Amino acid sequence: MKAHRTWPLLVFGALTVLAVVASLALGDALLSPRQMFGALLGHGDDLARTVLWDIRLPRTLVGLAVGAGLGASGVVMQAYFRNPLASPGLLGVSSGGALGAVAALALGGGALSLFMVPLASIAGAFLATGAVMLMARRGASPEHLLLGGVALNALFGAATSFLVAVSAAHMQATGQIIFWLMGGIENRTWEHVWMALPLVALSCGLLLPLGRSMNLLALGESGAQSLGVDVRRLRWQLVILSTILTALATAVGGVVGFVGLVVPHLVRMMFGPDHRRLLPLSMLGGAILVLACDLPTRFLPAGMRLGVVTSLVGGPFLLWLLRKRPC
Amino acid sequence: MLNATGLSVGERLRALDFHAEPGEHIAILGPNGAGKSTLLAALAGLLPAKGRIEWNDREYSKIPFLQRGRMLSWLGQESHAEFAFPVREVVAQGRHAWGDDGACVEEAMATLDITHLAERPITQLSGGERRRVFLARALATGAPIQLWDEPASSLDVRHALEVYRLGQQLAAKGSTLLVSLHDIRAAYRFSRVLVLECGHLVGDGPPHEVLSAKLIREVFRVEASFVTSLVPELPQE
Repeated sequence: MKAHRTWPLLVFGALTVLAVVASLALGDALLSPRQMFGALLGHGDDLARTVLWDIRLPRTLVGLAVGAGLGASGVVMQAYFRNPLASPGLLGVSSGGALGAVAALALGGGALSLFMVPLASIAGAFLATGAVMLMARRGASPEHLLLGGVALNALFGAATSFLVAVSAAHMQATGQIIFWLMGGIENRTWEHVWMALPLVALSCGLLLPLGRSMNLLALGESGAQSLGVDVRRLRWQLVILSTILTALATAVGGVVGFVGLVVPHLVRMMFGPDHRRLLPLSMLGGAILVLACDLPTRFLPAGMRLGVVTSLVGGPFLLWLLRKRPC
Repeated sequence: MLNATGLSVGERLRALDFHAEPGEHIAILGPNGAGKSTLLAALAGLLPAKGRIEWNDREYSKIPFLQRGRMLSWLGQESHAEFAFPVREVVAQGRHAWGDDGACVEEAMATLDITHLAERPITQLSGGERRRVFLARALATGAPIQLWDEPASSLDVRHALEVYRLGQQLAAKGSTLLVSLHDIRAAYRFSRVLVLECGHLVGDGPPHEVLSAKLIREVFRVEASFVTSLVPELPQE
């Protein structure tokens, strides 16, 4: 098994760079390449510098973290459950994050500090992560874990709905909640970047060497173990890394649907199921999709949130691919 | 040398003692639920089992996973194919514990008659073809102990016979083969037969000694008559 073709990686790398540049340049204040690179290096006019360093760069880096995290997490979930329909939200981690954020917003935490909401979301997501780990550590089978995720999703979903209903009297809180639930990466600060990006990069880095073992896992656990994979340990690593990635992505980006499902799926349809290729390509693919879908939200009416655009773009694209080639 | 003492898995396998030497070609027979698959999976270290399994006087559970992957190969009944891996990549997974691709991959594909499918995604194969792909993967490990759980299920008559002959050839070269099957007649192609019933070992020895009409009646609850009838054989080479 040789991961011989490197051109997809080069193409995806180039597209990521392109998406980053576009994300830095485009918006209400249009930056020319000259202004942009000048501001990046710290010279040029004040406005360009402020726009780039205080607004665009954090937004772009958060977008990278959210996209790469969701893309990688989706690949892991699909291999883990041997099901191409699995997604990062399957184990209840993103709904845990959503509940945390909604609770903070409903209690008026959004007004207290910029970090209340992402911190509450991290707390919620890691609460769910803890529950998942507890189940995994007791040696739960993937089927058990899946059902546990269904239960957690239902539980967190009910609590979230309750909070939305209770706060319906406060128009402002309701608006914030709905906005947050639709996902978005606008108004992000460097604190958001530090909150997510390093740990996302670390988790992605730890995932990459697991590709070969994931190939074996994807064709059956017992078979993988008989061929020399420590399946228990691998499953444990995969659950931890993917829940951390989902938790961080949700905490700084809200509920961005579809990226974790559609990106690995598309990459697999285009370049095959080898996880040594699928993992890096899905990380880059997720980042590209999130950054690309974030661009129109800057120009469209306020309702076109990131999560709405990713689903609007990803859904039809997947349908089109399915029509062309049954999987 | 494979040695199991007091091997138990819940209610499915009860205190089984068993010993196999290199070069033995062993068939495992028994009705549904007798513990054939459980025995094979337990020997492969895939099930939490009580008792002791030794390989060349080393306790199997203490051997690291990668080393196990080099000395023992297990073929399960299920052949998962949710993802469209090309056949060659699946067979090459047999080399995981060695970290090389080796000539064994091409050789294993040729042996199982799947070379012409090498580039095809496994999802597009028939059940029997897929079975042969996973057998080739087990073979590519080059492991001296091969545990095959109903390898011939879903194979056509010719490929089934070829699989039994492959087992004989591997045993002749010094491998230990344990193969579960349902076809009582095919068991005569093996050098030794184990018969399981409700997790107990009720027969162990050469097929013509073990497979008496009495045992077949008691274990399988069918009447066996020893008459000549249609016996398919591979053509002489």
